[in-house]
Amino acid sequence: MIYYITAILLILIGMYAVLTKKNIIKIVIGLSIVDSGVNLLLISIGYIKNGTAPIFSVKGLTPDKMVDPVPQALVLTAIVIGLGVTAVALSLVIRLYDHHKTLNIDKIRKLKW
Amino acid sequence: MRKATAIIILALVGYYFLSVFLTVPFGEKRNNVGQYYLHNTVRETGAVNSVTAIVVSYRGFDTLGEVTVLFIASLGLGAILFDKKGKKRRLQHASLIVRVGAHMLYPLIVLLGAYVFVHGHLTPGGGFQGGAIIATGVLLMFISYRSFETSHKALTYIESIAGMTFVLTGLSGLIWGNSFLQNVLPLGEPGRLISAGIIPIIYIAIGFKVGAELTGLLDNMLKTIKSD
Amino acid sequence: MNFSPVHFIAVPLFAAFLIPIVGRFSKEAVKLIPGLVLLYLSYVAISLYPIALQKPIVEIIAGFKPPFGISLYFGPLAAFLVTMVMLIGLVIWLYSYKFIIREPLEKYYMLFMLVIAGATGIMITGDIFNMFVFLEITSIAAYSLTAFLRDKDGAEAAFKYLLIGSFSSTFYLLAVMLIYANTGTLNIADIAAKMQTVPNQPKIFIMILFLVGFGIESELFPLNGWAPDAYSQAPSPIGGVFGGIVVKASTYAMMRFAFVLFNFHSMFELILVLGVITMLIAEMSAMRQQQIKRMLAFSSIGQMGLIMIAFGVGTDASVRAALFQVFNHAVIKTLLFLAAGYLVFHSGSKKISALDGLGHNKPITSFFFALGALAIIGLPPFSGFWSKLYILTSVAKGGFLASVVLILFSGIIEAIYYLRVVGRLYFKKDVSQDNVRRTPISGLVAMGILAVVILYVGLYPHQIIDLIKPAAHDLVDKAAYIKYGLLH
Repeated sequence: MIYYITAILLILIGMYAVLTKKNIIKIVIGLSIVDSGVNLLLISIGYIKNGTAPIFSVKGLTPDKMVDPVPQALVLTAIVIGLGVTAVALSLVIRLYDHHKTLNIDKIRKLKW
Repeated sequence: MRKATAIIILALVGYYFLSVFLTVPFGEKRNNVGQYYLHNTVRETGAVNSVTAIVVSYRGFDTLGEVTVLFIASLGLGAILFDKKGKKRRLQHASLIVRVGAHMLYPLIVLLGAYVFVHGHLTPGGGFQGGAIIATGVLLMFISYRSFETSHKALTYIESIAGMTFVLTGLSGLIWGNSFLQNVLPLGEPGRLISAGIIPIIYIAIGFKVGAELTGLLDNMLKTIKSD
Repeated sequence: MNFSPVHFIAVPLFAAFLIPIVGRFSKEAVKLIPGLVLLYLSYVAISLYPIALQKPIVEIIAGFKPPFGISLYFGPLAAFLVTMVMLIGLVIWLYSYKFIIREPLEKYYMLFMLVIAGATGIMITGDIFNMFVFLEITSIAAYSLTAFLRDKDGAEAAFKYLLIGSFSSTFYLLAVMLIYANTGTLNIADIAAKMQTVPNQPKIFIMILFLVGFGIESELFPLNGWAPDAYSQAPSPIGGVFGGIVVKASTYAMMRFAFVLFNFHSMFELILVLGVITMLIAEMSAMRQQQIKRMLAFSSIGQMGLIMIAFGVGTDASVRAALFQVFNHAVIKTLLFLAAGYLVFHSGSKKISALDGLGHNKPITSFFFALGALAIIGLPPFSGFWSKLYILTSVAKGGFLASVVLILFSGIIEAIYYLRVVGRLYFKKDVSQDNVRRTPISGLVAMGILAVVILYVGLYPHQIIDLIKPAAHDLVDKAAYIKYGLLH
């Protein structure tokens, strides 16, 4: 329960940063926070009360007491993808700063639709 | 004004999100493919760590894509920051304590990373985690020694060869088995270091690849710091 | 070794990993490898096509049967789209061969090949999370390619695209996790079979998430703000890749989910309404554009709106018409982007007003542009005519007469702004000073191939319709998808 609420709060905080912050680095940070929130949500969906890690490292562990391994595997992939997106975003920030000498998005916006 | 609008919209979205997610009971066991994996991992893949078995074996195709995403990110970073290369970076000297400490820690961190990806099928961890640990070691060296350089040629070779190993391991399943990424090696005794067929091979390749790629990313970004 | 759909992913990835090593020895090989890969994959696509027509090929990966392992679903629809993607990819590669002279060349070719691999992956995968991975491969490569020219506006356009695109992937991932929580599986066919058991509230939420997530990538109003910038700031061939390949892949995904997972009546109506709004606003905006590539971008959005309308009607005939339009739009818009690339290059300016009289100076490139313009407006001897006709009749038969009127209205707007450009090309005095640089042969051949396809389809539309019929059936028939997808 509390995990769902926390995770969704994280997503909302990240989105708030993306929507209102002027500094593009803060926007990228906002994107990362959204990612973390989504990952936390995904992990908490697979949780089982009093469950153990899904690893048969010691004898006597039974599958019945283990948490769902699938969300963990998915989160691993999602984290790596989030990392890739963040890396590309930061390189674009470096480029933008180079051209405009500022990180303020209001001064950068030239293309409008 | 803008902030207030954002807060109101997000509050509504959040309320709707929560009301939907609360229909999913928390902490209860559900009947899903995860249960199948838990009951059959050891028998079908020989890996003790069922998360690893899912990542590398059952859903290995995802992992191939995941490795590619990281590859694309480093490619894209290289393309976007292309003509920034070659500039000397100028960082402040780290203090003697930091430098000596970093020097001593660096091999240990790399060793830990290697341990984590070699034992991916037995203990928590695996190629991505191990690679990331290795990259943190390199990052430590980058910030402590301003003259620390990585060899681009070596990084490229490691990346490429590790990536091709992954695809070729997959194709070997297509040639000697029935499907891509199928295990063609004996499973061995679960719990041993050399067991679980192709899982350790793939995870070692991923460990090298991720380590090299993250190092390359860090290097590319550091190169953009201007000299004066 | 037999051909298998896995080659569409494995071969380009292997080649992409190989290129950095080869690039150390030969620059020319770096340019050649993607072409060879695409040629080989076109061959694979064509040789798998007849097999897929008989019975969808379901390729198991890692030896675990669905729903436990990932499987690829290569049915008539996937065969149709993948063959189209390979054709367009090959043509764009040929065009890029002389067009892209800017370093880092090897990175351009790798990213280009990976965009195509990712888009193909979206079209053939049978697993919902796997689709997320391919979606990300496609979009991260697309962000990087948008900023490839490393100029001011390119970086800005890419950043905007990245911001909107990461929201798209976040929504998609949320949808995936809700589906997993409710059905306990990730295989699309298995989800489709279990979707009835899902209560209504999460189901509607999942639908909204998908609609928003894919709406961003398929340029639906009001989520298409990234498109004009990305199209116009990316290198011209990449504009063709976006319009012909990336957008089509996400449209495919949206439609596959709409038909297989939801089948809500209201969802199709929503898609129809969104399509109409998208089309109208985009065509009006295209009218006001001063830059040729921005105009093409808005026209592309408008065409996507048209495709959405046809899908939204949801009858067999309209789905067929929509797929026909998907094919035509991919081919024609690619031709337009490729021709516009050289027109911009020759006139030295992105402005439409700089194109005056280029028709005399650069007759062949201008001819291809004019041909593409006439085809996309929907004039009779070209392929665009047939698909527009089918869309109009099927929408009218579906009973949406207001939409028919609006389609015709936007068609007129489209004709005005395209003919304005064509008029400038031919009936204005030559103002350009560029008499030296010629359009290279490889570029002309690339455009020529597309022009021949347009004319051929325009003259013999029935051959392509024979291919579309099973493809449309594959999309609409949910029961068959579940049956084959789960290997029953």
